[in-house]
Amino acid sequence: MCAVTLTVLSVLVFWATDILPGDAVGAVSGPDATDAEREAVRLALGLDRPPLERYLDWGGGVLHGDLGTSMVSGTDVTDIVGARLEASFAVILPAAGLLLVLAGGLGTWAGLRAGSRLDRALSGTTLGLIGTPDFLIATGLLLVFTLWWPVLPAVAIVPLGQSLWQQPELIVLPAAALALGGFGSTMRLLRACVVQSAASPYAEFARLNGVRGARYVWTVVSNAAGPAVHAFTIMLAGLLGGGVVVETLFNVPGLGYELTRAVGTRDVPLIQAISLLLGGATLLVLLAGDVLVRLLDRRHPREGQP
Amino acid sequence: MSGLRRWVFALPVGAVVTVAVIGPWLAPGSITAPVGRPFEPGGTAHLLGTDVLGRDVLARVLAGGRTLVLQAIAATLLGSLAGLSVGIGTARTCHRRTAAAGQRAVDAFAAVPAVLVLLLAASGSAGSDVVVAVAITAVSIPFSVRIIHERTSRLITTDYVCDARARGESGWAVIRYDLLPGIAPVALAEGGIRFVAATQLAATAGFLGLGAGAPTANWGRMVRENSTGLNANPLPVIVPAVLLVVLAVGMSALLDRLAVERAGGLEQTGQLA
Repeated sequence: MCAVTLTVLSVLVFWATDILPGDAVGAVSGPDATDAEREAVRLALGLDRPPLERYLDWGGGVLHGDLGTSMVSGTDVTDIVGARLEASFAVILPAAGLLLVLAGGLGTWAGLRAGSRLDRALSGTTLGLIGTPDFLIATGLLLVFTLWWPVLPAVAIVPLGQSLWQQPELIVLPAAALALGGFGSTMRLLRACVVQSAASPYAEFARLNGVRGARYVWTVVSNAAGPAVHAFTIMLAGLLGGGVVVETLFNVPGLGYELTRAVGTRDVPLIQAISLLLGGATLLVLLAGDVLVRLLDRRHPREGQP
Repeated sequence: MSGLRRWVFALPVGAVVTVAVIGPWLAPGSITAPVGRPFEPGGTAHLLGTDVLGRDVLARVLAGGRTLVLQAIAATLLGSLAGLSVGIGTARTCHRRTAAAGQRAVDAFAAVPAVLVLLLAASGSAGSDVVVAVAITAVSIPFSVRIIHERTSRLITTDYVCDARARGESGWAVIRYDLLPGIAPVALAEGGIRFVAATQLAATAGFLGLGAGAPTANWGRMVRENSTGLNANPLPVIVPAVLLVVLAVGMSALLDRLAVERAGGLEQTGQLA
């Protein structure tokens, strides 16, 4: 099933970048090129062949790990992607960790005290965060921490020969922006899971039996694990998309930054490779979440489960 | 929610939409010609000061919202329409397999990050606002289809729909008189959520420099263009940002209120973006 979806994704990616008007010829040959020059570029890029043939050629290459060469820099796309992957991970992983702790903790707390003042305050905050586009959250953080209270660097300029991991202060702002962007919806989903779990007969039974404190929290939380895992995988998938915006704003040399740059220069092989990678990664994350939820459900057979 | 509280959220949203739509007609002077040095602070000559190229910020703010709001509205309407027809269609069809395959395809497409779809569409044909609107529509359809499908499948098993079918009423009559009234509230709430998401995506597209090229004004792009001059004149960043936040947050707060009244939270009607 996943293979089919990935194939559909690859066709979409190829179609959007390769067949729609305004192909790479215009980008490579420049705006002043004559018709003869454009034709020469078209031939050199092999764009005169039928789309299906080119798709199969490209798809075959991808299967063998060959993503083609960049039209702008002339380097191997696999190398570029490999180099960018690390920076993306350096931002996304701390953001995911931060979200897990923040949304998980506050979601559980608000869910256990549904209707309290804290719950209502958090509900308002998250609504604001959901409504605010990611790039505004990121710009806001940039404003506060680099201008009004300048403690952190505005853009991530990684010294040559070092990786982003060695410069934790460069990661803080992008990761925080990414985490805040996903915080609203994730916390709301988790809160709903906990509220539902706390209202279940299982939790009521525990309450009536005098289970209190940490043990009660554990009872409720472990019962909410299935939907919560689902919420987290949706969040993780969302981070991959949000990463594009955040990386571009903070100049983090990651995949998303490279993608917006490649779109700007119409570097088709690079766009195709990164899109396929990001889309594929999202699908895999969602699939892994589904599998995990199945496993959890099998471990806790409950009544009334659909 | 009392009528008053509803207005508290609805008024700002309406005001921003109005400013966005009629703004370009009100813009004082040119939006592209420099009128002073870059990042002059706001004053009597230019109410909101000048931007990175010394252009009048007030004119650009007034001119920069229409595309964005129209993109969002068009994407919401088209997406809801597509969602309604496909959702009702897949719920009513007798071909179980077709319906299942359709759902699967919708799920697969929904998994692709929205920003990625935007970038892909923009790389296919750069500098077009219409393409951005189409991409936003494409992103919003899967969510609409899923919600409408679920709602319709639930309604279709109710006694009154079964009765209507047993009376031998035509498919259209069943949809028009038995299904649509039940779907309408859900579809409206869903459309609102899609509108918020579409506004955010349209603004993000402007921010990333997709859509129409550089000299045109766009609230999303203004935030990016002018972020270098925050020290000298923060207004060209803050004003468009506040307008965008008021639009999106006001709308989602309004929806949340309505959803709480009807069913209990946004979670019931699906997730944003």
